[in-house]
Amino acid sequence: MSMPNVPKTLGVSVLMAGMAFGSAAAMAADGPLRGNVRVVIGSTSTGGDTYQNSSIVVDALAEKLDLNMKVDAVGASSAFRFLDRDPRGNTLMIFHDQSYLGYLYGVEGYDNIFEKYTIGPTVAINPGNAYLVPKDSPYENLDQVIAAVGDGEEVRVAIQPGGVSEIGFSALKNAIAIEHPGMEDNLVAVNTGSQADKNQQLFDDQADLINGTVQANEQYTRLPADDQKAMRFVWLTARQGTIEQAPEDGLGQTSREQLLEYVEPNVTVTMGDENFTFDKEFFFLYNKDMDPAIVDQIDEALGEIYAEGEIQEVQKNSFFIPNFKPSDEAAEYLENKMSVYEGVIENIQ
Amino acid sequence: MLDILSLLDITFFLLAALGALVGIIFGAIPGMTATMAVAVCLPLTYALGLHHGLALLLGLYVGGISGGMVPAVLLNIPGTPSSITTTFDGYPMAQRGEGERALRVCVVASVVGGLVSAAILFLFAPLLAEFSIKFSYVEKFLIILLALTVIASMSRNMLVGIFSGVLGIWLSLIGTYSISDGGNGKTRLMFDFLEPYLFEGFSLLPVLIGIFGIATILLEAEQGVKSGLSGKEIKIGKGGGFSFGIFRGRLTNLVRSSFIGTFVGMLPGVGGSAASVLAYTQEKNLSRDSSEMGKGAPQGLIASESANNALTGGALIPLLSLGIPGDSTTAVLIGAFTLQGIQVGPLFIPENADTWYVMMTALVFANGVMFFLMFYAIKHIAKVVLVPKYILYPIIVMMCVVGAYAINYGIMFDVWTLLIFGVLGYLIQKVGLEVAPLIIGFILGGQAEVYFVKSLESFGGYSIFFTKSPIAVVLWALIAASVTFSVVMGLKSHAKRRLETSQ
Amino acid sequence: MESGLTSLFSVSIDFETSHLFFPRIIHWLMGGLFALILVLRVLPFFAAVRRGERTLPILGESMDKYRFFGSLALIAAYFYLMAVVGNLFPYTGYGFLSVSIVFVFLMSLMYMHTRTRRKVVTAAINAVVAPSLAWFILAKLFQITLP
Repeated sequence: MSMPNVPKTLGVSVLMAGMAFGSAAAMAADGPLRGNVRVVIGSTSTGGDTYQNSSIVVDALAEKLDLNMKVDAVGASSAFRFLDRDPRGNTLMIFHDQSYLGYLYGVEGYDNIFEKYTIGPTVAINPGNAYLVPKDSPYENLDQVIAAVGDGEEVRVAIQPGGVSEIGFSALKNAIAIEHPGMEDNLVAVNTGSQADKNQQLFDDQADLINGTVQANEQYTRLPADDQKAMRFVWLTARQGTIEQAPEDGLGQTSREQLLEYVEPNVTVTMGDENFTFDKEFFFLYNKDMDPAIVDQIDEALGEIYAEGEIQEVQKNSFFIPNFKPSDEAAEYLENKMSVYEGVIENIQ
Repeated sequence: MLDILSLLDITFFLLAALGALVGIIFGAIPGMTATMAVAVCLPLTYALGLHHGLALLLGLYVGGISGGMVPAVLLNIPGTPSSITTTFDGYPMAQRGEGERALRVCVVASVVGGLVSAAILFLFAPLLAEFSIKFSYVEKFLIILLALTVIASMSRNMLVGIFSGVLGIWLSLIGTYSISDGGNGKTRLMFDFLEPYLFEGFSLLPVLIGIFGIATILLEAEQGVKSGLSGKEIKIGKGGGFSFGIFRGRLTNLVRSSFIGTFVGMLPGVGGSAASVLAYTQEKNLSRDSSEMGKGAPQGLIASESANNALTGGALIPLLSLGIPGDSTTAVLIGAFTLQGIQVGPLFIPENADTWYVMMTALVFANGVMFFLMFYAIKHIAKVVLVPKYILYPIIVMMCVVGAYAINYGIMFDVWTLLIFGVLGYLIQKVGLEVAPLIIGFILGGQAEVYFVKSLESFGGYSIFFTKSPIAVVLWALIAASVTFSVVMGLKSHAKRRLETSQ
Repeated sequence: MESGLTSLFSVSIDFETSHLFFPRIIHWLMGGLFALILVLRVLPFFAAVRRGERTLPILGESMDKYRFFGSLALIAAYFYLMAVVGNLFPYTGYGFLSVSIVFVFLMSLMYMHTRTRRKVVTAAINAVVAPSLAWFILAKLFQITLP
């Protein structure tokens, strides 16, 4: 019987070739990060902001480190699981504030990222998180919404529960609880899904206020008032300083100056002593047991990339605000950020 | 108009053609979808620029949706979820040795569907977008319900068929009630220790290719993989029996299905597989003689394929006139626009007239290329069934693995899903349950839940399903007609069978 | 509530437990249908089996045990080993490539009824070429992550 040897020989030879190939590829890079690197993201969409921003950063990083790096849109729960299982550094993750907001809202599948993972550098902000009303809404601005709810009027807000889309709603509710104690329950969440669903709630008159984004809703704000689909921004959750860094032309035909009308100090949502703001920030997450040298290597490489200044242009072109903070700084900053929002969420429960 | 012509150079058409070709290949591999083809080529568009990039992506889209017919007809494995209904009649035809004929019917139906929807898109996009936002959760639920009524009419035994369908719905509910659909993100219908694997439930594509591909191989293995060839000798050449005469008297079907495809594609969130299922249902209900459907009737292929290609134009309607993707592929297409710093929304068409005309050109051209590539390549493609099974089957398993692993960008559990549903598919066929209703239940179950629960959450009562709008009333009428029809048909065939046994 | 009819149809869903609302309806439907099937189909079937008119599925049928269980075992081993080997060379696709070559060849051998030299050589060539081609096009050209 000479037949069984054929597959064996074949298999072995291919395996050997593969090994030789694999080690050759690993030798190419001289840093602690080796081989092919996969960057998983917390979103399943390859058309969304997380993917877009991650691919900008990862492409630059791959070039700098001379490694094969690939962004895979596996979604939050799978991404965390991949990260859990790979301490070698071949799997990295990029996600945004959802990673800890999901935990704060008690969503299944989210743990405290500050305990479970190493926080990597922040890379960019998506400044677009917004709240909109129909163009013919009786509410001129956010203050009127707050006042109306304080007067006992019910205002329905369409959001996607459990994270970035809900945090602005929670802050609004918190502000009402502070300014008009006891009236906050008149602000009602309409839990829905995608941006399409949220818009639809507005068209169906099932919501008075919706969460949206500058990117997705800007054209709706420019429709004539008699169009059923026409909307108006009332609030951008970003910091004033963030919007100020946006390109002067803003987005579409809404200039930066116009966008600034919807942030502090023109629109304020109080948290008591301070005003609430929310910037959706993208950052790296690493396996806890990953070699710290890799953390330094990526920090350093990104530091150089941002110092060169080219990536900022690319990011701004796609309406992202560049925001590089090395790992240590990022971890401390984000943990603070989380504790502020934790206070807001606890306050309204 | 002249500036637009200057945008259309040779490269533009080459890219659209290349896209169609690559798309067909992706679509033809079980498990590789149009969405995946567009997603992997998305990074290329950055270097190509907007218009060239769009030519490539739209080519991929049209090609990818069309390519799905090939494994559906020849191997009984839907290449993409939307070609599921193509297997119902395509595979029986292939088994009779009419694979080539079936594929030709599919290609012609596809190109008609694609072009009809492109025309509708071009002429009525803003108007239809206006109409599509009249569909709230309530109407969307009724659309899904209408599509689900096909289960009753397509099953051999109505009771068993409906049970299989409900089982399919149940299987689709495993996992979380997803937050991205507005659910509360909690898991159900599983044990805690399964959570790491089943958190997001079973993915559609691995389930499909498991239940069709792997289960078929297991059934064959049980029989000992008898004949060397996987299909009967196919009739090659003129004997294949294709002529455009097949379409005589089928024009209504063709046009109706194209319209249904466009229309379903246009409703955000509903799109995808529901289009071909709905078109198939309607053909079954409305045609004069539908008794052969499911046993290898060209009319089933016409309904299925024209609807699933009409999806392309339909899904672009909300994308370009609302900024909202109509299906998963157009969701990826949004990325191509944002990469170039262009926002899609209600003002996209008036503000980017050039891009709009360029896209229409690419869409129509890609449909043409798809038609010529497929129509003339079919003779060779159909020979796949001449490959000995001992060569073909291992390759099918391997490609199923690739597709399942890649569909969610690299998740090993999706590969195991193949095996789980391969075995399940084997078992349910053995105990006499029906696969087609089960899979339709699985495809539509998740949406049925979201639209149903969200309707009740918004309106607080069941009566809303009847009183929401005139559209809802029309949909109920269609549902009632569909159910009545299948009951009457069921009783008729029952009586016929009884007559035969008594004779 | 305005009228009796409206209140009869009205329903309020608690968001916290809304994930169970629809599954509950499906469970009732499934249970009802299953009971019907049990009475109308399964019991008569078993009665027929007892009378010897019908045979039990799977158990009562003849099957090619070697090829059936062989296929199952081979596929399971294929899936398992792919991930294991793939883990040695993270995200290169080598796990898929090497294990696929072995799998395709073994499955070909198993499904062959007569093993002529020519058939085996064809199978071997196919086993090397097909996975390599798939790997090259998908993993290298299109950068799709493979195990």
